[in-house]
Amino acid sequence: MTPELELRGITKEFPGVRACDGIDLTVKAGEIHCIVGENGAGKTTLMSILYGLLQPDAGHIVIGGRHTSIHSPLEAIDLGIGMVHQAFKLFPTLTVAENVVFRQEPSRRGVIDRRGASRRVRELADAYGLSVDPDAVVEELPVGVLQRVEILKALYRQASVLILDEPTAVLTPQERDRFFEVIRRLRDSGRTILFITHKLAEVMAVADSITVLRQGRSVAELDPAETTPEEISRHMTGRDVSPVRRGRTHTPGKVVLSVETLEVEGFHGLTAVDGVSLEVRAGEVVGIAAVAGNGQSELVEAIAGLRPVVAGTIHIGDQKVTHADVARRRRAGLSYIPEDRHRVGTVAAASISKNLMMGYQRSAQLRRGRWLSLAAVERHARQLCEHYSIKTHSVDAAAASLSGGNLQRIVVAREMSHDSPLLIAEQPTRGVDIGAIQFIHTQILDARDHGRGVLLISAELNEIQALSSRILVMFEGRIVAELDPDTVDEADIGLHMTGGAKVGA
Amino acid sequence: MLKAAQRGVTTAITHPVTLALVASFGLGGVIIAATGGAPLAAFSEMLAGGFTGRGLHNTLGRSIPIIGMALAVSLAFRAGFLNLGGEGQLLMGALAGTMVAITVPGPGVVVVPVALAAGAAVGAGWALLAALGQTHLQVPLLITSLLLNYVGRSITSYLVRFPFGAPGEPFATTVPVPEAGRIPRVTLIPGGRVSISLVFVLALAAVLAVLYRRSVGGYETEMVGLSGPFARYGGVNVRRHTLLVMAGAGAIGGMVGTHLVIGETFRYIDADMSAQSGIAWTGLMVSLLALNRPMLIIAAGLLFAGLQIGGFAMERATGVSWQLAQVIQALVIVALVSRFAVTWKRRRAEAQATAPDAPEGEDAHVGKV
Repeated sequence: MTPELELRGITKEFPGVRACDGIDLTVKAGEIHCIVGENGAGKTTLMSILYGLLQPDAGHIVIGGRHTSIHSPLEAIDLGIGMVHQAFKLFPTLTVAENVVFRQEPSRRGVIDRRGASRRVRELADAYGLSVDPDAVVEELPVGVLQRVEILKALYRQASVLILDEPTAVLTPQERDRFFEVIRRLRDSGRTILFITHKLAEVMAVADSITVLRQGRSVAELDPAETTPEEISRHMTGRDVSPVRRGRTHTPGKVVLSVETLEVEGFHGLTAVDGVSLEVRAGEVVGIAAVAGNGQSELVEAIAGLRPVVAGTIHIGDQKVTHADVARRRRAGLSYIPEDRHRVGTVAAASISKNLMMGYQRSAQLRRGRWLSLAAVERHARQLCEHYSIKTHSVDAAAASLSGGNLQRIVVAREMSHDSPLLIAEQPTRGVDIGAIQFIHTQILDARDHGRGVLLISAELNEIQALSSRILVMFEGRIVAELDPDTVDEADIGLHMTGGAKVGA
Repeated sequence: MLKAAQRGVTTAITHPVTLALVASFGLGGVIIAATGGAPLAAFSEMLAGGFTGRGLHNTLGRSIPIIGMALAVSLAFRAGFLNLGGEGQLLMGALAGTMVAITVPGPGVVVVPVALAAGAAVGAGWALLAALGQTHLQVPLLITSLLLNYVGRSITSYLVRFPFGAPGEPFATTVPVPEAGRIPRVTLIPGGRVSISLVFVLALAAVLAVLYRRSVGGYETEMVGLSGPFARYGGVNVRRHTLLVMAGAGAIGGMVGTHLVIGETFRYIDADMSAQSGIAWTGLMVSLLALNRPMLIIAAGLLFAGLQIGGFAMERATGVSWQLAQVIQALVIVALVSRFAVTWKRRRAEAQATAPDAPEGEDAHVGKV
C-alpha cells in the first residue's frame, strides 16, 4: 500500500539564494501530482531533498503519518521512493537488464543470474506497457527508450513513489502520449507519481492535482478540472504572459544561407546528413522539426564549421564556406546559438564579460591598438547585460553564478548583437523558464524583422509553429517535408517527424 | 574603510594558498619533532639561511631557473595543456645552447643571444613533437610530453658522452664554455653578484602577465584552456594555439636549460644536468601554487628557491636533513590541491542543487586546480 506523502515547511538555503522557503506539499497516495514552476522556483531542490540528495535546513518529511528523515538516495529507495533524473544515469556499455538490476542482481550460487535478470526485467516491462528489449545495449538505444529503462530501474526497486524530473523534454508527441499512458497505468496500480514540468499542456493532460512553486514558495494548489493553463501560468510567473505570435510575414530577401546536397558523417562514420539542400533568405525564419538524432545536430554543426563535410556545398551569403574554419564563417555572416549552452555556448569558469566578448576579441571596438582595452571589454559587457536584461551584480562574476535562463540570455545577447545576416538558433529555449522563452522568441522575430535570416532547430513543435515562416521536417538525415505553419497542426508535423507520413501516404 | 581592510586581511588569511603554506610548515614541524629535532630552531635557520646575507644571493640565483620553468608551465597550463615535458625540453635546449656557445666565435653580445636562441629553438621543437602528436595523431599531450623526458635525457646523455664529450675527462661532460659564451653576472644588491638572467626572467614574467591579461591571444588561449568546445565554436583556431603555446613553453624551457650551463656551471656535465632537471618539476609546483599568474610565480619561485637554499643552511646548523625543504614544498602542493578539491566538491553539489540544468561534470581543467 502506498502511503500518503507530506512535506512540511521545507526550507533550504544556498549562499545568496533561498531555494525552498517553507514549502508545504501534500501528495495523496496513488495520484499524479504535478509540480510546476519556472526554473529556479525550487522544484528540483525540493525533489532532491525528498530523494535524500540534499538535507533541508528546516522542515520535515512525513510518509504514511511517520516523521522520516532521508539522508541518502539509498534510504529513499528503501522507503519506496524512486527518481528519474533529467539526465539519465545509466551505464552505456551494459545491457538494459544489467542496468536495471544493478546493485540488486538476482544470483544463483553466488553468480549473477543474467538470464533470470533479463526475464524479470521483461516481465516488469510487459506489466506496465514499457516496451524495452532487456538484452539491448544501452548506448545503442534512443533517449525515449532510455527513459523507460530509468523507470524500470525505479520499479525494480519497488518504488511506490516515482519522481519524474521534466520527463517529456526528450520525447516526440507520439512518444509523449504513450508515456502518459504508462504513468496513468502506474497510477492505477496504486503508485504515486510526482511529475515535475513547466509545460502547461502536459499538466492539463495528466495531473490529478497541481502544486505551483514560485521563488521557493508554494503559491497555489490547483485542481486541473477547475483551472486553466492561463491561471497556472499566472501563478508561475506572478503576471500575465501572452505567447509570442509570428505576426505578419515578410517577403523574403536575398539568400543568406544555401546548403546543397550536403552529406555529413555522424558517430561511427554513419551518414547523419544525407543529401540535404536548403535555403534561408533574409527576413524569414526557417524551422527544422526533427526528433533528436535525425541528423539535425550534425547539419547545424556542419554549417557552423564544427564538423567536416563529406560532400555537397555550403554558402553563407555569397561566400563558399564548405570547408572554411569557424572564424571565416563568422566573418562571412554567421552567428549561432548552440544547443548545448553549458559546454559550447558559454564557459562556466570564465567571467560574464569574457563570455560576452567571444567573437568580438579581434574587433576594433574592444581594442586600443594591438591590445585589448579592459575598459572597453567591461563597457561592452555592461551594455549587453542591460540591453538583454541579464541579471547579475557584476560582469566580473563567473558565468557559473547565473541561472539557466540568464546563461541562455548571455548566449543570445552575444550572438544577436553580432548583427550578422545569418542566425542559427538551435534549441534556443530548452530548459529555460517562460519569461526567458518569451524574451528569446521576441528576439528571434526582431532579428527576422531587421532583415536577418534565421535557421531555427527545435524539438518544441509549438515553438517551431509559432516562429517559423516555413517548416522543414528532417527524418533519418533527409528533409522529408516542407510544411506551411499556418495550415498544419502538431499531429501532422509529428507524423512526418517519425517517418509516419511515408507509410501512411 | 577599516572594515574593508579587515575583510581583506581575513580573506588573505583564509585564502587556500595561505592555509596550504601554514599547513605544510605545520606538518613539516611535526616531521622534524618526530625525528627528534627542534622545529622552531630548524625553521629559523632555514629562513635565515635562505633569505639573508650570502644565502639571499644564492636564493636569487636559484630562483632564475625555478621561475623560468614555472613561467613555461603557466603558459601551457593556462591553455589547458598538461605539459609535463619540461625536463626534456630543458635538457635538449641546454645541450644545443651549450654547443652553440662553445663553437660559435665572436663577442659575448652575439654569442650569448645566439646560444639562448638555439636553446629556445631546440626546446620548442622538442615540445612541438608532443603538441603535433596531440593535434594531428590524437595522442594525448600529457603522455607524450612526459615520456619524451626519458628520450631527451638519453639523447643528451649519449651526445655528451660521445660526439660532444670532452676527451680525457673522467665523467661525461662537454669542454668548458669560453669566456665570451658565458652569461655575465652583475651586482644587483650589495654583497654579491647574480646572473643577469634574473633581470631577463623577471622581464619575461612581466611580459607574460601583460600578454595573459591584455592580448587577444592571451584571451583566446585562456578560453581554449577553460573549454575547447567553446573556443572552437567562437572561432578560435585551437590547433594553432596548441602549437604556439607548446612551442613557447618549450622555448622558455630550452632557454632556462641553456642558462643553467652558460650562466652557472659553464660546462654541460651529464650527471649534474640530470640532477638539475628536477627544476622542471619544482617549476610545475610553483606555477600551481601561484595559480599560473606570472607575478605570483615570482613570489612563489623566490619562496621555493629560498626553501631549497635555506634547507642546506638548516642542515649545517641543526642537523635536520635539507630534504625536509623538498618535503615541505610537496606538502604545500598537496595541501593546496586537496583544499581546492574540497571546495570544488562543495560548490559542485550546491550548483547542482540550485540550478536544475547545472553543467554535468565540468571539463576536467588542469592547471587551475
